[in-house]
Amino acid sequence: MNSYPPELLAQLAPVMFVAGLDAPNPQDASATQGTPSKQQDPFVILKHRLREALIAQRKVAIWQPEKAKVFQAVLVDTDVRFPPRKLPPAEDQQFHPLHSPLSPLTPTSPLYPDGLIAPIWIRKHTTLVPSVFVLFKRIYEHPPAPPNLSGTEHADYDREREAEERKRDTELSAEIAQRKRSTNERSIKLTAVLMASRRMLDDPALDARLTFIRRQSGLDPRAALFVLSPVTQSEIGDFVRSLQEALYEPALDYYSNHSKRVRRKRNRHSQGTTLAMPLSPLGAGNSPRPLRPEGWTVRYEHKMACFAEFRGEDEVALKHYQDAYAALLVMFGSTAILPPRTKRWAEAKVLADCVSVKICKLYLYNNEHSMALAHHNSHMRKFSDLSRGWGIGEETFEFWSWLARQHRVFAELLEQGVRTNLKIPKHLPVPPPTAAKVAAQAAAPQRGPLEADALRALGLNPTHALQHPGFYYYMAAQCTEQRRERFLRALDSESSQHVSLSPGFSNEKKVDHLAIALELYTRAYELFKKNSASQQGRQQLWIAYRIAQTYFESGKFDMAVRFFERIAKTYRREKWDAMLRPLLSTWYACAQQLGDMELSVHLLLEMLGHRLVIDQDDPESVQEDLLAVLQSTVPSNPEQPLIVDLSESGPLLDTTTIFWTSDISVGESSAFQITLSAPPLPPISELPFASLSIYFADDLPPIVIHDASADDDMAPPLVQRVALGDLRPPQGGEDPVPREELRAKLRWDPGSSLILTGSLGSDLPGTLSVSKLVLTLKQNTWTVELPLQPNSPRLGLVREPQWLRSVTPIRFMPLPGEVHSSVTIHNKPHRISVAVGHHAPAYLGEEFPIVVDVTNTDDRELEIVVDVLLHPLEVEHAVSSITFDGQSSTSLIKGVTFGTLAPGVNMSKTLLLSVEGAIGDRTLDISVQSQTTSTTAPPPPVTSPDSPPLHTDTSETLRTLVIPSVEPIKFEQTVKYRRSTKKAAGLADIATFEDDFWDDAGEAYVSTVMTCSGQSGISVESVKLVRKDGPRAKVVDCFIDTDEEDFLSEWLSGDEFCDQCRIALSRDEESSPEDLIPGPGHYEISWRRLLSDGSKGSLSTSSFSLPRLEPPTDGLIALLDIPSVAKLHSPVSMHLIVRNNRPTRSANVVVQLDLDPVTDGFIVSGLRQGRLPVLMPGAEERLTWNLIPVECGYVKIPKMKVTDRRAVIDAQLPNASGGKAEGEDVAVVDVRMDVQPGDGASAVVYGPRTGTILVLP
Amino acid sequence: MPPQLRLNAVAFVSSQNHPILIRTFSQPKQDELKYHYIAHTSLDVIDERITAAGATKSTECYLGLLYVEDVAVYGYMTPLKVKIIIALELSDNVVRDIDVITISQALHTAYRRSVANPFLRLHAPSDNVTDHAVVVSAGSQKWKLFRERVDEICRAVTLPAAA
Repeated sequence: MNSYPPELLAQLAPVMFVAGLDAPNPQDASATQGTPSKQQDPFVILKHRLREALIAQRKVAIWQPEKAKVFQAVLVDTDVRFPPRKLPPAEDQQFHPLHSPLSPLTPTSPLYPDGLIAPIWIRKHTTLVPSVFVLFKRIYEHPPAPPNLSGTEHADYDREREAEERKRDTELSAEIAQRKRSTNERSIKLTAVLMASRRMLDDPALDARLTFIRRQSGLDPRAALFVLSPVTQSEIGDFVRSLQEALYEPALDYYSNHSKRVRRKRNRHSQGTTLAMPLSPLGAGNSPRPLRPEGWTVRYEHKMACFAEFRGEDEVALKHYQDAYAALLVMFGSTAILPPRTKRWAEAKVLADCVSVKICKLYLYNNEHSMALAHHNSHMRKFSDLSRGWGIGEETFEFWSWLARQHRVFAELLEQGVRTNLKIPKHLPVPPPTAAKVAAQAAAPQRGPLEADALRALGLNPTHALQHPGFYYYMAAQCTEQRRERFLRALDSESSQHVSLSPGFSNEKKVDHLAIALELYTRAYELFKKNSASQQGRQQLWIAYRIAQTYFESGKFDMAVRFFERIAKTYRREKWDAMLRPLLSTWYACAQQLGDMELSVHLLLEMLGHRLVIDQDDPESVQEDLLAVLQSTVPSNPEQPLIVDLSESGPLLDTTTIFWTSDISVGESSAFQITLSAPPLPPISELPFASLSIYFADDLPPIVIHDASADDDMAPPLVQRVALGDLRPPQGGEDPVPREELRAKLRWDPGSSLILTGSLGSDLPGTLSVSKLVLTLKQNTWTVELPLQPNSPRLGLVREPQWLRSVTPIRFMPLPGEVHSSVTIHNKPHRISVAVGHHAPAYLGEEFPIVVDVTNTDDRELEIVVDVLLHPLEVEHAVSSITFDGQSSTSLIKGVTFGTLAPGVNMSKTLLLSVEGAIGDRTLDISVQSQTTSTTAPPPPVTSPDSPPLHTDTSETLRTLVIPSVEPIKFEQTVKYRRSTKKAAGLADIATFEDDFWDDAGEAYVSTVMTCSGQSGISVESVKLVRKDGPRAKVVDCFIDTDEEDFLSEWLSGDEFCDQCRIALSRDEESSPEDLIPGPGHYEISWRRLLSDGSKGSLSTSSFSLPRLEPPTDGLIALLDIPSVAKLHSPVSMHLIVRNNRPTRSANVVVQLDLDPVTDGFIVSGLRQGRLPVLMPGAEERLTWNLIPVECGYVKIPKMKVTDRRAVIDAQLPNASGGKAEGEDVAVVDVRMDVQPGDGASAVVYGPRTGTILVLP
Repeated sequence: MPPQLRLNAVAFVSSQNHPILIRTFSQPKQDELKYHYIAHTSLDVIDERITAAGATKSTECYLGLLYVEDVAVYGYMTPLKVKIIIALELSDNVVRDIDVITISQALHTAYRRSVANPFLRLHAPSDNVTDHAVVVSAGSQKWKLFRERVDEICRAVTLPAAA
């Protein structure tokens, strides 16, 4: 941008002249205020701050898109003079209108007679002529009246003050009026700002004085007079803002008037072009032609564009700039209008470039990126075409210089823009519109905005895709390189033909093209770095490569080398060999220039590794270069070998390392082959390798193969085999056996290979592999070490692994499948057999035996140790434990030693698993560890007592057992209850206080079915009921007590035995009837498992407690007690016990006996129907009937109905209507059949029909 | 009738950013190296686009216009992260995304068919460590058909009348 006049590029803003803010001279300050300290004068500070605020608010810049109402403030003297408006005619020429001194019509103008427009014109409007003029002035302030004035003195003071003020104000007005006259001439708005102290602002006379001053000086009524007192910094900001706010409109008017004037002139001009064209007064034939109409158009359009820009009307400015640009193109189109390579032509070209920049800028302000870029491209294209016509086409350095400048200006414009508010678009692809969107588009009535969207969705014009400024810097740099190339060509032709080619050529000679290119590349590099989101920075590397090349060309080899180092890293890693090639050759050239021999050797070797042939006709050149360097130079440090690691780039020789097998046992060996083969091109056969070392990953000492090519002159065969023999790491303390020196011809003809064969094994377990190969190159004082990977992959080369089978003739066999690059050595496995014997399932309560049997089937003595782990079982109540060899545990038993077993010896131990609580699968892990008894080799001394010796040869055999457990005997119990017919003891009965009083509450009958449920039978040795009488229940008797012998036998699976047990129940006042009564005892069965071989296992005991009892409770109940058998005609008694067991309610019971005379087989004496006395809770009533049977057989007992009326009475209380009272039926229970199931909830209720009596004759 | 496109170069780059095949079709053949650089620098923009796409969970293969130098460079990434970079000659016309996508997909198919060549793996060791090497080797001098397919696509693009 610096190559263009700044006036033509800068963003224009309204200009404001500010006068009266100059630093005060000392006399003024002392005269007005008389204060000794000038620093303290508030007005000095005020002026200083105002100056700062006005100047700081706007800097002249090219990119300024904000549209705040901000002026470009210019500080001037109070008596500044404007440039003359129109020159008076030089001579007395009445016909000529007046013209500005800058007009092409003015002979003294620099533009006379055919210039277009000069930067000076813009400078005039930015620095010499303002749109508004602000004049700062102090208003006169009379010193305050002394405090002790008398009346007359006061009047005197007032009079004096008034006169003085009037005098001073008149002076001030005159001054302002004079300025007003000069500004009025150019219709510039004048505003006066009067500075006054705060005291003055409160003075009532101020208004009158201000009006006087305004009238006297002829200031406008509006926005022309301000009063300002010393205020703080922020208030000054407010003041400046409001001042500009007020003056902005007049400023716009000012520039609009200018525009109107220019438009009038342009219109007049375009109507009567040639006629109005005045002839130059010096109109002689040889003088240049005056400015043509096209030129005037350019001039006027440019002026209007500038005025629009002053007004901040970007759209209008853009339009006028475009018109000016179009007119300029027309002018350039004809060599008659603008003869090439003249001064005016050059000026016009600069103007066109600047206008183009402005057009781009205005587009960019509006975020019209593609328009801006399109204009920029078309500008370059049009002027490229024009340049061809002017003889400065693409073959000249002028053209490329100009093009570079265009790119650069555009880049700088973008850079400035990006720094503030310009956003570079990201050209992400637009996802294809969804179906919904398409539908919406079709449905939408207005299609305007959507169509633009659709256009974008279709695609993008790549030439209109704006990118970040780095790209344009990069292009500028490339153009500069082109420029240099053309220049060098021109220089050549100049030296050969001795003719000066163009006028600019001598200037061009002074230009340091490379420095310019370097600067541009560096800026591009920085911008790429800033804009790149990728960590690799490949774009930067590309620019860096260009920078390095430029450094190389400008002879700064050390700088270039530094760049190359960095770039090569990424290119090597990502295997972009094609790009590495030119880089390496330039780098090598740098190294040569720098005399860095180590680097040269390194680079030459790398080139060989990359199979790089610099000169296609002479493929040997790299090798020859390398040999020449090695022979003719000395390394900087001959003691130290130069190590050239080419693992990142291509290796010098392709290597493969293959092991025949990947797993071997101790003492065995695995064969391996290492192949080093040379590429077909470029040749490396002359390289003087001295030795090849093979390094192993383990303790193996490296093997060195020395060169044997000096032994004879025979060329090495295509495939050379060197046997390395069987290799083993040395045993501890033992010196490695000195090997005979290995020799081979370390020369590789193109395509030939050296194959090292051997086998590798070890006496200790571990992993063996080849860690690296090192080739050593020796020549004179040079020693170069080339480490090689055991397997060098070459990109894009898939090779089948091959195994050399025979050398004469050469035969390879392919190795399909996985290729082993290392070998793992294991100990020989121990052969032991572990047998585990048991008879699952285990019975609960039993100690279940598991036999662990270990046999040594190996041919070595083995020491056996067994660990057993019992897994915890996640079942409630499950308890299990193991006992093994005297140790007991619930989880782990460790280190049960079986001792040392000689080969073939077998040993077994029994593990006891006891299972209790709950059934479920028990899981056991049995780990049998074997260890060789190291009788042959004593174990190495243990360095630390904590760590076991590393080389113990142990192995482990694992068995996992899952033992199901079951109950040996299944118990099923059922309980039945029977009510008591005994009369409850009375409340005051003394017997109830005895300790052994049994308050009879009926009986419970428990019947127990014991089933042998296990797979194998058991032999029962004892069965007994262990009594545990409680306060509410006690065992009365059971079968087992008397009949145990029947139970003691061998129970087989499915056998069932039953026992019945009678339990007496008692009431207990302390426990509520809801509480369950614990079973008053348990069965204990001692048994032995019957084993399959007929023997019996250990004695185990299972116990099962009696169930908990829950006797049913009932409320009001009637118990019918009658014998089962009667004799004909002999009376029997029938009793009915009505018992009220309800806790609170009394009962009003009515008993009714229904006798059917036809069917009844009894003659009954007793109550037929009657009401019992009221039964209190807990009370009972006993009724008795005498019956004489009159029929034989099963005779029905007379029907009996017991009704409780109490509930009914309760219900009838509200309505006292008597009526027939229905009662609640009370259950009548036949005591003979009174057996209730134990669940208690539903007692069997016998209805009025009870059973029968067997009447015998 | 959409404006005609001119393919200047096509590059296939493997998932580990190793070049597989770079084919140039521009008439002066001396620029071959330039397209290597273009392909390599494009990887930066591709990285950037992938990161952006990852943020929006986009699975689109087409990456759009990468950058403009004296050619317009477009990017496409296959689901297996093989990048296809297309350099189109600049012309002052709108390049329709759909056209570039069509070319990319054709190139992708050509690549896929070439990698599917069973003979490519004939001599490869069976462990899949070298799978990447196999993929890269598809572009080596040895396999002519891949080149021919790519060249054919270029011909079809440049001479749509013949197609």
